[in-house]
Amino acid sequence: MFHKNWSKLIVTLLALATALAGFNVSAPALAQDSPGLIVIITPSHDNPFFKAEADSADAAAKALGYETLVLVHDDDPNLQDQHVDQAIALGAKAIILDNAGADASIAAVRKAKDAGIPTFLIDREINETGLAASQIISNNYQGAVLGAEEFVRLVGEEGKYVELLGRESDTNAHVRSQGYHDVLDEYPDLELVAQQSANWSQTEAFDVMETIIQAHPDILGVISGNDTMAMGAMAALQAAGMTDVVVVGFDGSQDVMDAIKEGTIAATVLQPVAQFGPLAVEQAHTYITTGELPEEEKASIDCILITPENVEDYFNFAPVK
Amino acid sequence: MAEVKVQSTLEGSPLGQITKRRLTLRGLLLQLRAFIALILLYVFFALLSNAFVTQSNQVILAKQVAINAVLGIGMTFVILTGGIDLSVGSIVGLTGMVAGMLIHKGLILTPLDRVIYFNVWIIALIAIAVGMLVGLLNGILVTRFRVAPFIATLGTLYMARGLALLSNNGATFPNLIGKPELGNTGFPELGRGTLLGLPYSIWIMIGLALIAIFITGKTPFGRQVYAIGGNVRAAQLSGVRVKTVTMLTYVISGFCAAIVGLIISSQLVASHPATGDGFELNAIAAVVLGGTSLAGGRGTILGTIVGAFVVGVLRNGMVIEGVSSFWQMIITGGVIVLAVIIDQVQQRIQERSAA
Repeated sequence: MFHKNWSKLIVTLLALATALAGFNVSAPALAQDSPGLIVIITPSHDNPFFKAEADSADAAAKALGYETLVLVHDDDPNLQDQHVDQAIALGAKAIILDNAGADASIAAVRKAKDAGIPTFLIDREINETGLAASQIISNNYQGAVLGAEEFVRLVGEEGKYVELLGRESDTNAHVRSQGYHDVLDEYPDLELVAQQSANWSQTEAFDVMETIIQAHPDILGVISGNDTMAMGAMAALQAAGMTDVVVVGFDGSQDVMDAIKEGTIAATVLQPVAQFGPLAVEQAHTYITTGELPEEEKASIDCILITPENVEDYFNFAPVK
Repeated sequence: MAEVKVQSTLEGSPLGQITKRRLTLRGLLLQLRAFIALILLYVFFALLSNAFVTQSNQVILAKQVAINAVLGIGMTFVILTGGIDLSVGSIVGLTGMVAGMLIHKGLILTPLDRVIYFNVWIIALIAIAVGMLVGLLNGILVTRFRVAPFIATLGTLYMARGLALLSNNGATFPNLIGKPELGNTGFPELGRGTLLGLPYSIWIMIGLALIAIFITGKTPFGRQVYAIGGNVRAAQLSGVRVKTVTMLTYVISGFCAAIVGLIISSQLVASHPATGDGFELNAIAAVVLGGTSLAGGRGTILGTIVGAFVVGVLRNGMVIEGVSSFWQMIITGGVIVLAVIIDQVQQRIQERSAA
């Protein structure tokens, strides 16, 4: 009996070892002729936005012959910090980072800089200049203005509407809201009856929207700080039978693109996220080969309004070829 | 009386278990399974990647493990009594925010219309006191109000996280370098500084582990902790002040969580209110991997440290190998379940040899 248990132990350990060995294929064992390692760190890939972002950067770096290591920080600054440590220890040539917080990420970027590794920030800024090699972000303000203008066109110049805000600690939440209001506040008869944060989350947006519907069954539109919240709001509106309410999102994620095709969501603003990664890789490559950094630290890329007319032209945050 | 307790509680230590039984190879291997698993993992990742064994990576690894190990030390005390502390992750976040707030805004005394700025040592002490207070609240809920530990600490998990978010309206306290004119500079030193080439957090882990090993193994308090987890009724009858001892274990856990909160916010030079989210489960995983029984009464601090290293090596190795984070979760989960299965096997062997 003892013998049987003991052999079970060995078998399970061996099984584990073999399972792990299977991943050897993806090991970034540096080949002799490789120009070096680029570490790509983004939020969790459970959001297709970040998956597309990481994949595009990964593909661009590999195309130039770099080894890559793709990591996620799950929006946890501590985990991000550990990943940056790891990149430094591995002697990475560059870090491409979609960071875990405008303030909480400063120390990590500084640490990489002190270790001689340039960090190219994409999608989100940090509240400090002169540390990152570059900060490539989408023009959130311009995108929000586009979204709000379309919202007014669809809702009309009077009526009640709701705004769903992103996570308050995130700069993008404020910038987008600002863009929305710079347009919408021009129309005095458009009445904001509820403004709530749903923390970028689909389930939270669903709950918040359900509650708002109870108090304001006569709303005409919902303008949302991102697409996942727009999806949550749309689901709540559908469940309440309020299918005429105009929902406008922000991001251009594929599920919202599909909803636009179906007509359940009116419009969204596409962030050209698939351009961030390749541009950052290009800048990193220039730096690695020539030592030159981009002249301007901050680069903003304009967003694109997506409506039923042009929804077929884009897939996975990039134009259909 | 003390002698009686020693007899009944020695079972908790591996030494007790080994010396009481015939010292068989199988028994020894099972006893040291976490340690053996650790060595196997080390060898495995070392063979896979040269980057894994470098000195710099080993330091990083130990630094990552320190966070989990320190939480695990506190958690071990609680679990040894048969309890559980789900609030540690939130305490990490809360104490970091307390430190951040005291550096940035000072202590605002509204009625006196004054703001007091402290130096970083006092700030650290206040943050630790806050962590211990939450621990005390846990202890009071569990012992005086007889709330089940799972529920009591789930409650404080939400409360402490809410307080952390409330303290700056969900925003981060950035740039915790302090101001020379306020005399509160030097906070980042804890996260950045080194002694003999090793970051302070590693020394803190070693120090706390040694103290905890001493407490559990050599002091009456330690024996009483094992006694409560082994059999509360028996412990009570033999004169252990069950309520006080249990309460103290939660305070210890709160203390450890506060230390981690300070380490992390100092490493990041910023306090982020969501810091520590989910850390309680990592700590419990380390404790369980180290062979401590969730039923209480059996387990060791050293086991927890080894358990924390198993999780840490696994994660560090998989990160270096570029394993998808989704696979990392699956594999880590598998290892935890495997550890508990082996634990059950060992239990059965023990029962048979005792019979």
